[in-house]
Amino acid sequence: MMQRRAFLKMAGVAVPAVAAYSCADRDEADRLMANAAPIDRASVSWAKAPCRFCGTGCGVMVGVEQGRVVAVRGDEASPVNRGLLCVKGYHLPGLLYGEDRLLYPQKRNADGSFSRISWDEALDLVASKFKDTLAAHGPEAVAMYGSGQWTVFDGYAALKWVKAGLRSNNIEPNARLCMASAVSGFMTQFQSDEPMGCYQDLDRGDDFVLWGNNMAEMHPVLFSRILETKRVKPATRIVDIATRRTPTTDYADMHVLFKPGTDLALANGILHLLVAQGRINQAFINENVVFRRGIEDLKAIGYGCFDDQKERYTFEDVAKPSSLAELTTFLADYTPEKVSEISGVPVQQIHALAAIYGDLPRGTVSLWCMGVNQHVRGTWMNNLITDLHLITGKICRPGANPLSLTGQPSACGTAREVGTSSNRLPADMVVTNPEHRAEAEHIWNVPAGTISAKPGPHAVDMFRALKRGDIKAMWIQTTNPWVTLPNRSRFERTPNDGKFIVVSDIYPTPTTAMADLILPAAAWVEREGVFGNTERRTQQWNQLVDPPGEAREDAWAIIQVAKRMGMGNLFPWPDDNWHEPMFEEYRRFGVGHGKDLAAYAQLKETRGMVWPVVDGKETFYRYTAGYDPYVKKAQGAHFYKAVGYGEKAAFWLRPYHPPAESPDKDYPFWLTTGRVLEHWHSGSMTRRIKQLHQAVPAAYLEMNRADAEEMSLKKGDKVKIVSRRGSLELVVEVDGRGRPPRGTVFVPFFDEEKLINLVTLDAMDNISKQPDYKKCAVRLERA
Amino acid sequence: MRSTVGTRVAAAVAIALATACAPPASGNGASGFGTTRVVARSTEVRADGRAYDGAPPVIPHALGGPCTTCHDDDGSAIAGIGMAPASPHGSVGATGSFRRCQQCHVPATTPDLRVASVFKGLPQGAWKGGRATPGAPPTLPHTLQLRENCLACHAGPASRVEIRTSHPERARCRQCHVPE
Repeated sequence: MMQRRAFLKMAGVAVPAVAAYSCADRDEADRLMANAAPIDRASVSWAKAPCRFCGTGCGVMVGVEQGRVVAVRGDEASPVNRGLLCVKGYHLPGLLYGEDRLLYPQKRNADGSFSRISWDEALDLVASKFKDTLAAHGPEAVAMYGSGQWTVFDGYAALKWVKAGLRSNNIEPNARLCMASAVSGFMTQFQSDEPMGCYQDLDRGDDFVLWGNNMAEMHPVLFSRILETKRVKPATRIVDIATRRTPTTDYADMHVLFKPGTDLALANGILHLLVAQGRINQAFINENVVFRRGIEDLKAIGYGCFDDQKERYTFEDVAKPSSLAELTTFLADYTPEKVSEISGVPVQQIHALAAIYGDLPRGTVSLWCMGVNQHVRGTWMNNLITDLHLITGKICRPGANPLSLTGQPSACGTAREVGTSSNRLPADMVVTNPEHRAEAEHIWNVPAGTISAKPGPHAVDMFRALKRGDIKAMWIQTTNPWVTLPNRSRFERTPNDGKFIVVSDIYPTPTTAMADLILPAAAWVEREGVFGNTERRTQQWNQLVDPPGEAREDAWAIIQVAKRMGMGNLFPWPDDNWHEPMFEEYRRFGVGHGKDLAAYAQLKETRGMVWPVVDGKETFYRYTAGYDPYVKKAQGAHFYKAVGYGEKAAFWLRPYHPPAESPDKDYPFWLTTGRVLEHWHSGSMTRRIKQLHQAVPAAYLEMNRADAEEMSLKKGDKVKIVSRRGSLELVVEVDGRGRPPRGTVFVPFFDEEKLINLVTLDAMDNISKQPDYKKCAVRLERA
Repeated sequence: MRSTVGTRVAAAVAIALATACAPPASGNGASGFGTTRVVARSTEVRADGRAYDGAPPVIPHALGGPCTTCHDDDGSAIAGIGMAPASPHGSVGATGSFRRCQQCHVPATTPDLRVASVFKGLPQGAWKGGRATPGAPPTLPHTLQLRENCLACHAGPASRVEIRTSHPERARCRQCHVPE
């Protein structure tokens, strides 16, 4: 029947097409072809680069003609995306060509306006301001705020300049707002950051459990890999654990709707059933797992001083040994009935989830991103997801792993691996460890004692310190904090307040509007770079076009300022060839420590290499016998980085704590925020791309139809969203791509004209200090 | 089933006949929903929806049901509206990697730009493949990436006249036409 139908349809198309292919048409075709301007395809050259947007790290082939990027194609040779991109990736070239690119340095005048100055003047100004501030107020008064979009070069130059040059630890990446809980999750369990698995798990897994992760929109190319797996293996299951329905839900075999923040209870409920039913892998636990417990007292922990406007949040967890026996007692509180009451998840679904994790031969892959990380107990939630894998032995097995997804193109490669944060150094090292400091000082060839042992403030506290005036000079690169900081009004600034803020970016943003000096940056293929993606793949690209105007790459600007401050010894490479030698120096940190990056020459030749790269070979499965050269066992797993746990992984007992703020009678709705497929982060790039902007031109408020009807609101009506911190007017969306349950609204954060971060809460995770953008209480008023 | 097919074929024939009698395409967006006149898409219309040659086209109409109801392997004539072109991606992808069409194809909900752009995409046109000898089958002048279904663009009432094949019934195109 199908064949016949296809034949008939084909005939319906083909017969008239033949009929239409008359002499007149041939003449018309010839006329059109004759008039067509000849297109010389040979004039377009194609070269590889990773995508500039998310942490997936898709490979693209970039088409360049006469010094301009004119097209991209999905790179069929890339093992990440195998030729496919998403709508953002296909429209990448447009990010370089917004009409308002920043073209030259601009200095703020006393009247608030900006004037063009030369690079020499600009670099002298930065150097003198930082030098004067250091002299007058010490290293805690200067700061650098960077990005998971920094290339490895930018991040490494910044880290070295701040830690070895300024002798300060006041450097943070915006990744503190997005990946910090994943880092502290990995560090607390494996004493080394980043996943053991890789994207091959998406092909090899049987069940994919998505924790608070709208993967169809946020990691579309990876999601399409799962859809392909489902085509090939129809028994594949996709489980969507979420606080609202999203495009991902349409493809899920099971949709588990939970109340915001109660994922902690849900994970414990699954653990309860696994232990009670004996669906655990005792042999794996005996060989590879230790049990730990931290501070659990809600009062002692708090939520990061958002409510009392205190200025510094310095909670530190303390680990004590625990056991499987203690876990059994601990989990007594998490019966399916009780968990169902807390989370709103039906008992039956909790059993179904336990059956998935508890089916030991099947490969389960857990995936998560911001839903879990931007969480007042984000580290705990990271721990609990990994616990599910540790207790079932579904880890370090191809097709069975927890896989933390990242949001920025080099959150892993730069923010995490280079370690551009207040407490870290490259390759998992920390400033509080004297041996780590000594190792860094040795590689950097600087005197012992150069690096400060005192960690600087985490990102939110850094901006609180700026507001207070404790930080007086700050350089911001490749990020847009005055859109992305939570509870933004707490961080407002009036320029010319005696502080000095430099912002390097490619377009004007609300952050450049706060600057005293704006530096024009080169973007993506306008400079040479290296990114590291979610699956530990380090990807290099060459400069393919010239930057516009006087735009220069961020790392270059840092090096020039360092030289003007008498710190040129930190960057001893020739001006025309510093990328490779800088990378080779950086690489020394990880070689031999299980964080071995590929040599630069090899990165240039390949579509990226998954570290650890030993003897030129990639490691797709870390800690896994037969894959990881550091594992000497014949089979199984060996968590060789976790020296503090006897080279085993730590299972953490973590309780349920309620969110920092929950709806009440004055503020009866949950607000959750996030992204949409078409826009990336604060929208400064994607909103300048025609096709992406026209698809989603402005932020909106998604609400449940029943809630809307109760308030006599319909799609397109205006509504005012009000929290204890701020308010905003938005247009209502009902039954759109996302469908929140009753009592929940969703607003995307990409729109600087509709700034939802005036409404969000600056409560944060106790361990990672990452803010929770996913839940606060709001009310709606008809506007 | 049979009667549905019959209707669709009839509609296709009717529309295709209308096409044959219609004046040449004028690039006025005639492929959009809401028009009753159906003409072959011109190169200009095709280019309108794409950032550069090879970019995924934007969706030129309001969203309705599942995309593949109309944009399937052979395309569908929709009475009173027009010809929904076939998907060039082939039927295998439609149930796997390419299931979510809106991963790459998005509608335009506004004609406005927030900031003007100076981006100039790789120009789109029609160009000929080479021939070994006069009369030999031309080679394929473009990559086949995401274009497994040749007839999606080279046959049917919605196809551009310049690149329309005279022999769509010989379904295995690559028996004679090979990539350059």
